[in-house]
Amino acid sequence: MDISFALTGKGYVIVAADTTAARSIVKMKVDEDKIKVLSPHLLMAYSGEPGDTVQFAEYIERNIRLYHIRNTYALRPPSAASWIRRSLADSLRSRRPYAVNLLVGGYDTSTHTPHLYWIDYLGTMSEVPFAAHGYGAYFALSLLDRYHDPEASVEEGLATLRRCLDEVAKRLVVTPEKYKVKIVDKDGVREVEI
Amino acid sequence: MARRYDSRTTIFSPEGRLYQIEYAMEAISHAGIVIGARSKDGVVLAAEKKVTGKLLDMSGAKGQSYGGSGEKIFLLNSNIIGGVAGITADANSLINYARQAAQRHLFMYNEDIPVELLAQRLCDLKQGYTQYGGLRPFGVSLLYAGYDPHYHFQLYHSDPSGNYSGWKATCIGANNGTATSLLKQDYKEDISVADAIELVLKVMSKTMDSTTLGSEKLEFATLTLDAEKKPKAKIFNPAEIDALLHKHGLAKKDEERDVAAPVPSDQTL
Amino acid sequence: MSRSYDRALTVFSPDGHLFQVEYALEAVRKGTCAVGVRGKNVVVLGVEKKSVLQLQDPRTVRKVAMLDDHVCLAFAGLTADGRVLIDKARIECQSHRLTVEDPVTVEYITRHIAGIQQRYTQSGGVRPFGISTLIVGFDPHDTRPRLYQTEPGGIYSEWKANAIGRSSKTVREFLEKNHKDEMSREETIKLTVKSLLEVVQTGAKNIEITVMESYGKITSLDLAQIEAIVAEIEREKEAEAERKRSRLAATAAGQAAMSQAAGGSGQ
Repeated sequence: MDISFALTGKGYVIVAADTTAARSIVKMKVDEDKIKVLSPHLLMAYSGEPGDTVQFAEYIERNIRLYHIRNTYALRPPSAASWIRRSLADSLRSRRPYAVNLLVGGYDTSTHTPHLYWIDYLGTMSEVPFAAHGYGAYFALSLLDRYHDPEASVEEGLATLRRCLDEVAKRLVVTPEKYKVKIVDKDGVREVEI
Repeated sequence: MARRYDSRTTIFSPEGRLYQIEYAMEAISHAGIVIGARSKDGVVLAAEKKVTGKLLDMSGAKGQSYGGSGEKIFLLNSNIIGGVAGITADANSLINYARQAAQRHLFMYNEDIPVELLAQRLCDLKQGYTQYGGLRPFGVSLLYAGYDPHYHFQLYHSDPSGNYSGWKATCIGANNGTATSLLKQDYKEDISVADAIELVLKVMSKTMDSTTLGSEKLEFATLTLDAEKKPKAKIFNPAEIDALLHKHGLAKKDEERDVAAPVPSDQTL
Repeated sequence: MSRSYDRALTVFSPDGHLFQVEYALEAVRKGTCAVGVRGKNVVVLGVEKKSVLQLQDPRTVRKVAMLDDHVCLAFAGLTADGRVLIDKARIECQSHRLTVEDPVTVEYITRHIAGIQQRYTQSGGVRPFGISTLIVGFDPHDTRPRLYQTEPGGIYSEWKANAIGRSSKTVREFLEKNHKDEMSREETIKLTVKSLLEVVQTGAKNIEITVMESYGKITSLDLAQIEAIVAEIEREKEAEAERKRSRLAATAAGQAAMSQAAGGSGQ
């Protein structure tokens, strides 16, 4: 039931995820943060099997942090995404694989470019200009095809995201009531209200 | 009885010193010198070869861009070259380890290993060999010349104890005192890679035991960026080294060339 | 034959000494000096740092290591051993967060480090770590600064102020004389620098100061700041000496006058 979106723009990546924690058909809370800040310029939205998601996200978070402390600089987004994908792929071939889908967005401070990666629980990864996981993907991708602009400002990017959220609210039977939205750019990570 | 010799190799002396490490460093101070210099657009390594001879087969080193004669300078990863001084057999095993460590990093993170991280990996291994019983330290110092997006061009030095540090220009091996003072004198901030090449060759010619420089006594390598801003390592083959020496006016005179052992014109074939 | 490798290198001597541990302490005594001082709500680490050589890259000469957001460590002894031990501690810090969600307490990580050091005095075929460490930090949800020390034997202890490494005895005695409870940030930094100056003759350029003011708030002083503090200390010393001199002169003059007066009356 989780829904997450992400899109790149001029020097930034926006990552959005719904805030519903549910089990079966029962909603348990609506203020769950499903976007982890892995390092000063790296975000990861996670969705999938509850429990698996948190367990896996925390494991990733601590290891990325360890790399940062050991080397005084953080992993760059492409390297971090590769490592995260590998962790998931290794898990898939273990006795009890994690069922987690991810959107990894980051800003590479050495090349000054935003990066967004779409990763699924099978260990598939691709670098994309925009991405979505969950039921939201069925409604949003065509909108993003039409309206996404890699050169868009943050305001325009947020407006495009708004379109996606509105469409989901209009058409999806079980639409989430709230989303958390985080932006990563050259200044780091910040949260915005939408 | 055996215990006296093997399990006690890496213990503290009453003054708190680790003699085995100090002896290992002694071994390095007799080895052929390796000089490295960093510039804003490249890093340079040069090394003095000790194993030379008329009958040494150098054909393996011919015409390969990553060749070299494989005694002192090695390609550790596509963004890092290493120069070694000390016990060659130990060095070979460390180089193998370094190459594996670099590939492991590539496998895990899909990026070239950062230079300092590779130096750290090797130093962790070297430190282990000074602490665990039954092992003797590696008798090798290394220079790592490399590039990564974090700190750009870098030059590191590591010694048998497992210490490392970063340098603008440094050297290891025999006569390193003389070479260091020459480097100190002539190194300038913001030099170009061409200047660094000239500096290293000049210092080399002044510190080597033999009076003349030639490809049979010298290994040489540079690491620069190519047109696509990707690191490009170049280990010079003998003919290229002779051409370089000639260009800088450090090559042998013609009459000496007749007497000298491996005829350079032969090697260019 | 392989048994000989399993044997502990650190064994009791007939008179009950663990010589390898004592020799490791000698290695520590050869290391550069490090000082830790606790103030009211600040803790300061000061280390003596070897001069950066002309051709060396100053970035790679680091003496104080961050273990986690709220814990820092300085060590004296064999640098390579220090790096390896720091790495083990950093892993534990993150591993602890992963298992229990909370960051480590300073005592926990100190105990962990001391535990590793202890193991290397007892298990087969290894020599002890040739380092002592000073660990400073703040516990999560706490405002009290902490300062701990570990030694090669695996002993750890908490301190108000302490020193390790070269001439640490002199520095410790100085600290014992001059440390006060409830010092402010400036006083604490000044005492740290002052105590280091007891052994560092070359002044500010060979001193590195790290200040931790609260959970996760770590700052390193730059050279100019340290130079200013050193200059201030020099001035105070000068003034003190001047006072002493004038006092001596005054008493001498007084005595002279007295004796003259006495002599005069005698005449």
